[in-house]
This record gives sequence, structure tokens and C-alpha cells, in this order.
Amino acid sequence: MNPTFGSILIKVFAGAVESGTILLLPTLGEVLTERSGVLNLGLEGLMLIGAFFGFLGAMKTGNPYVGLLLGMAAAAAAAAIHAFICVTLRGNQTVTGLALSIFGAGLTSFYGDSWVSQRLTTAIKPMAVPVLSRIPILGPIFFSQDLIVYAAYVLVAVFWFLLFKTKIGVNLRAVGENAKAADAMGVNVVGTRYFWTILGGALAGAGGAYITCCIHPYWLNGITSGKGWIAVALVVFAMWNPFNALVGGFLFGSIEALQLQLQAAGTYINSALLSMLPYITTFVVIIVATVIVRVRHVGTPKELGIPYAREEK
Amino acid sequence: MLRFEKRDKTPVRLRVLVPICSVLLGLFVGSVVMLFARVNPLRVYEAVVKGAFGSAYTFSETLVIAVPLILISAGLCLVYRMKFFNIGAKGQYIMGAICGSYLALFGPATMPRPLLLTLMMVLGTVGGALWAIIPALLKAYWNVNEVIATLLLNYIASYILWYLMYGTWRDQRSHGFPLSKSFALNAQLPRILPAPSRLHIGLFFGLAAAGIVWIIIRKTRFGYEGRVLGENERAARYAGINVFKTIIIAAAISGGLAGLAGIAHTSAVLRILQLEINSDYGYTAIIAAWLAGLDPLVAVGVSVLLAALEAGGYQIQIVMRVPFGIVGVIESAILFCLLAGEIVTHYRISLTRRLTA
Repeated sequence: MNPTFGSILIKVFAGAVESGTILLLPTLGEVLTERSGVLNLGLEGLMLIGAFFGFLGAMKTGNPYVGLLLGMAAAAAAAAIHAFICVTLRGNQTVTGLALSIFGAGLTSFYGDSWVSQRLTTAIKPMAVPVLSRIPILGPIFFSQDLIVYAAYVLVAVFWFLLFKTKIGVNLRAVGENAKAADAMGVNVVGTRYFWTILGGALAGAGGAYITCCIHPYWLNGITSGKGWIAVALVVFAMWNPFNALVGGFLFGSIEALQLQLQAAGTYINSALLSMLPYITTFVVIIVATVIVRVRHVGTPKELGIPYAREEK
Repeated sequence: MLRFEKRDKTPVRLRVLVPICSVLLGLFVGSVVMLFARVNPLRVYEAVVKGAFGSAYTFSETLVIAVPLILISAGLCLVYRMKFFNIGAKGQYIMGAICGSYLALFGPATMPRPLLLTLMMVLGTVGGALWAIIPALLKAYWNVNEVIATLLLNYIASYILWYLMYGTWRDQRSHGFPLSKSFALNAQLPRILPAPSRLHIGLFFGLAAAGIVWIIIRKTRFGYEGRVLGENERAARYAGINVFKTIIIAAAISGGLAGLAGIAHTSAVLRILQLEINSDYGYTAIIAAWLAGLDPLVAVGVSVLLAALEAGGYQIQIVMRVPFGIVGVIESAILFCLLAGEIVTHYRISLTRRLTA
């Protein structure tokens, strides 16, 4: 193999893991939120809130990790609004999610206006994992990344185990499948839905903050450019399974990385068409995934989007 | 302990009170957000009102924004009643503008003005309708989530416009800027007031659309079937309603009106095709439809109010350097309050003594 070509390929795939992590974190969160029966279409807004407050925190403290935590906290707080309206007040989940997206975009472009194009000097830096990073090919792609990427690997495993192998996971799935039965079993339906909606918000915030605290350490209005919506679609692709979310995240990360690499290389392909590529792919994938989910009857929590009220007859 | 009982019918008092309280609370949330940025909300709201209603000219500019909102929200009232959540008005607006502009830019220059304009409007409507039929078909046949599908189509439409504006549709004399050549007089939808007002006959399209959609919803079999479908899909199927057909026709109407809004605004107000054609009206119209309780006639009034907020928002950005994002904050806060208010419009809440088990 031509060494320069090989090294370029490794660079593309390492970039794919970075871009993939941006998508993986919100997708993972939404998998859990939807498993509890709550549909949160506000990921785009939550990611923007995470991205902006993450950037702001990193700017003010000089520590990008503190920024990341602040971004997560801000997005979690915004997700709590969604939980309050959808769980407690039984509002329409589709429209509430949309309102959350508009809110995130408006709030961050209002406060972010004076920060546009300012750069972070202390972005999160890569940290190679000893031993593992020296594995040929896989090492530089998967183990010469930053702490957030490693944390995402761990989270996938933890949430997969939690969801399918523990009592917490059984309860969580029960709430999304049949809230009434879960309630009868003594599971706290309202508490479960609040918890996983807010946690999902924090993870969406992490995805956004990962952009501004690490990948593109500056602020621009609308910096997430639709990634939150792609993440919502990836949840269907993942069939509500954390491990598949990892596959989906990295697959779409590869498309993003490939697209950027092609643009940088100045190919004949028009840049508008290249930029369109991730959205077209997502569009096709959501159709195929929906059909597969329907045929094989997998995944979809049965009471997704349906509010629960004990007193109602 | 609170007891919730589902209401059969919402009292008129609540249907008026909840939206009004929502708007007030939305403005309050906007104030709090502004105070954090050390901006005086009272001065901002004063400037918004002045910027929207201050003079005959500014009011006509408010109406210029209201026209696309009226057109789009009328269609959304129809589809949302069927629980088909078309979020894609933005993309449908863009496709309408593109399709209609094709004739303006490349059509036979000698065509008489009324004929050319009619064809442009028809083409724009068809373009928007087709862009909405895609997700409707996917929803009807494969149950693909229409929110995600229509949203992705918004991005795709934006990039199609981008592709054209940096490609073959760019004017050779635009010095590299992504602008088409200016529309010839024949391709300009007439304005109805003396300059500098840009208010155009699209206003009448909007009023007619709102009236027609109101009649469809209230007085036709199709509208009735749509309402049944929205309340209970299974019941609708048992009653022999063709669910596929109903959703697809409603989506086509909604997309068509968004497309018409796109080409009318482009042809009458901008008179040129460019990257920024105000397609975000597609999102604002969603709020208008919801705030109007999905009644297309009420949506006319609400559209004017939201248009005032947007027109005022542009003004404060220019004059007071207050970022336009505040408009999104206020609009979304209004929407949050409305959705939260559904608990009182949908349920009768009463206090009962907790039974000791």
C-alpha cells in the first residue's frame, strides 16, 4: 500500500471518529430518553445550548473540561423544561421539541452575538492511550483521540449493559413499553421519564460542547448545523440500541469526514452537493431503517410520545 | 390531590385566555433574557412596537412579512389537525421560490405579464406541493416519521438553492456574488401601495387561502374526515376514511401554500433570487398556526402580530444592536406556555381529598 495514501486514509477515519462522537453523544442520550417513552425532538436546540455555554465556560475559566460540564448542565436544564411540559403537563411532545429547538437557536444567537468568531486558546487536546495507540491502523484511528471520545466508548458499553442487563434497564424499558403495567409493578413512571429526559439533554449538551471545546474551538451562530436532527434520525437507525448508536455515529462521522476531505482536496464535485451529502444520506437511511423496524418489529418503544396519567380512565 | 378529567369541549373563555397569557409570559421571558444581557427590555419593546406599527410605511412592511406567514400557517392549520406534523414549510417555501423563479429567469421574455405571473405562481405552488408530498407518501406507506423527513428536506432544499446560486443560475455580472439576474418587470408580482412600500397582491392570496382552508375544515366532507383522522386514526379507518389520500392531499395543500408564499415573496418583494430569501418564515408560521389554535382565520391576526415582532426585531437589530435571536427566544417561550396551557384546555382539574388507603 502506498504509505502516503494509507496515512491520509487513517487521518480521514480518525476525523470520522471525532465527527462521529459529536453525533454519538446526543444519539445515545436520545436512545435512552425515547426508551422511557419521551420523544425529544429538541436535540438541535440542546446541542446549541451545550455548544454555547460550553464555549462560554471554557472562555471564562480557561478550562475546556469545566466548559464541557457547564454546557451539559445548561442543556440538562433546558431538557427539564421539555420533561415538565411533556411529562407533568402532558403537552404535545412533537411541538414542544420543536419549540426547544427554536429556543436553543434563539437563546444562543442572542447571547452568542458578541462572541462570534472568538477563539478558545485552551481547547481539549488529544491524549493517546498507552499501548493501545501503538496498534497499527486501529491505534491512530481509535486510541489517539481525546478524553471525550474515550468517555463515549465507555458510555456506550455502560448504557448497553444498564439497558439490557440490569433491573434499572428493565424498569426503564417497561416505562416506555407499557407505563400502566410499570406503574402497577411499582416503578416510578414520572421520575423515570424525568431522569432519562434530563440525562439525554445533558448528553446532547455534551455533543454540542464537544464541538466548541475541542473540534472547532470558536463560536458561530448555529454551529451545530443540523447535527441534532441527524442524531434524532440516527436513533431510528440504531433501533433504540446503544451499540448500534455507536455504529451509526461513526458511519455518519465517516460521511462527514469524507465530505470535508473531498472539499479540502478541491475535487470537481460541487461543494453545495458535498455539503448536502450528510442530509441526503440521513434521509435515505431513515426511510430504510423505518421499513426494517416495521418488518422486524424491533426497537420502537410502544408508548413513545404518549403521556401517562394514573387517574385517567 | 389533583384530579384530571378529560374535557369534551374547551370553553371559549379558556381558548382566548390561554393564548393571551402565553404571549404575555413569552414577552416576560424575553425580558428576563434581555436583563441578563444588561439590555433594557422596556426600551426594546417600545422600539419593536415603533418598528412595527410606528408609521404607515413600517406597518406596511409588517404586512409584507405577514403575507407569507398567513399563507403558510393556513396550510399548517389543515395538516396539523390531521396530526401530520409538517415542519418542512421552510423547504417547501424554497422549492416554490426556485420553481417559480425558473420561469422568471429562463422563461420566454415576451410572454404577457398576467400569463407569466400566473404560470410562476402555479409552478411555485406545484414545487412546494411536490416537496411536501414526498414525506406524506413516506408517512402514508411506510410510516416514516414526518418531522424528521420534512426537516431533512429543509436542509436539502437549502443546499439545492445554494447549488443553483453558485452555479448556473448566478448572474454573470454579479461579480461572483450568489445572486440571480433581477426579475424583469413582467415577472414582478404587482405591489399595491405607492413606493417605498413593498406590500403586494400576495396579501389577497393569503386572505383567500385562509378563507378557503377555513371552509375546507368546517364545511367539507374532506375537512370533517381530516378532523376524525386527527382525533383517532383507528376510528377513521373503521369509518371507511381513506387515510392515505387524506394525508397526501392535505400535505399537498400545505406545501403548495408554502411554495406560493416563497415565489410570491421572491417575485414581489425581493425581485431577485438569492441565498437569503427569508425562508425561516416557515418556522415562524408553525408558531402562528399553533397560537391560533389551528384556526386559519385566527391565524391571519396572529400572523400579523408575529410579523410585527419580526419586523420590530429587524429594527432593534439595526438601531439598538440587539441581536435578532431574542425574537426566537420570545416565540419559543410563547409556544412553551401554549403547550403547557394545554393541560387546562384539555382537562378539567379539580382538587380532591386524598383517600387514605
